[in-house]
Amino acid sequence: MSFLAFFLIVVSLVSFVAAQLILKQAMAATTRTDFRNAQFVSKVTGSIILMTISFFLTLGLLQRFDLSYLYPFQGLSVIFITLMAALVLKEKLNTRLAVGALLISVGIVLVSLS
Amino acid sequence: MQNRPSGFGNPWLQLALSVACVLVSELLLKRGATEVANTDSAWSWTGVNGLASPLVWWAILLIIASFISWLYVLRYIPLTIAFPLSRVVDILVPLGCWIFLGELISPLRWCGIALVVVGLALVAKPIAQIEERL
Repeated sequence: MSFLAFFLIVVSLVSFVAAQLILKQAMAATTRTDFRNAQFVSKVTGSIILMTISFFLTLGLLQRFDLSYLYPFQGLSVIFITLMAALVLKEKLNTRLAVGALLISVGIVLVSLS
Repeated sequence: MQNRPSGFGNPWLQLALSVACVLVSELLLKRGATEVANTDSAWSWTGVNGLASPLVWWAILLIIASFISWLYVLRYIPLTIAFPLSRVVDILVPLGCWIFLGELISPLRWCGIALVVVGLALVAKPIAQIEERL
């Protein structure tokens, strides 16, 4: 795998994780306010742009690598999103949830490797 | 957390719908991207040439549908619970290939599937308690 491919995989993963966090923030706010406010619109737009970047990068990578090769990286998103949701969004994260997320990630990697 | 709607508006049902759409779209995307693959072109690194495949467009429609369900899920369920649960799709894809396409699943892959199931059970267990508190 070239450095470029690795770099694109990382960019795709980071933009996907960031998009999820921003979306969660925007949607959680709608339970308190309505949809017509500038902050909500800009957050949703920003996360859709990030997801689109991640989507096309993945599509480009799929043309060069097997899905089974790229999938472990998607598995890592479970760990990253769970940790970042706890750190950035201050969601409650107990040992059980953390271990669960870790097992899911390891499981996804194993499924893709074999 | 405010009261959750029931019926079609139930966030857990929407989570399941979102997962189903992602499952089908992943398979369509891989087939579509392979169909029109042209790795000689530098542009293909961006993936935009994948748009030449109708399968990719069907996948995009499903992704939009799953996205709308997912937005709804995010309104009600914490990300630390909703996201790990949404990855049930990662074992549904190989299981789908095994059941419908007759592909073989190696012992190592079965171990991976078992790990994901245990992880999902750990994440899903507290949900019953959260629902009780509401």
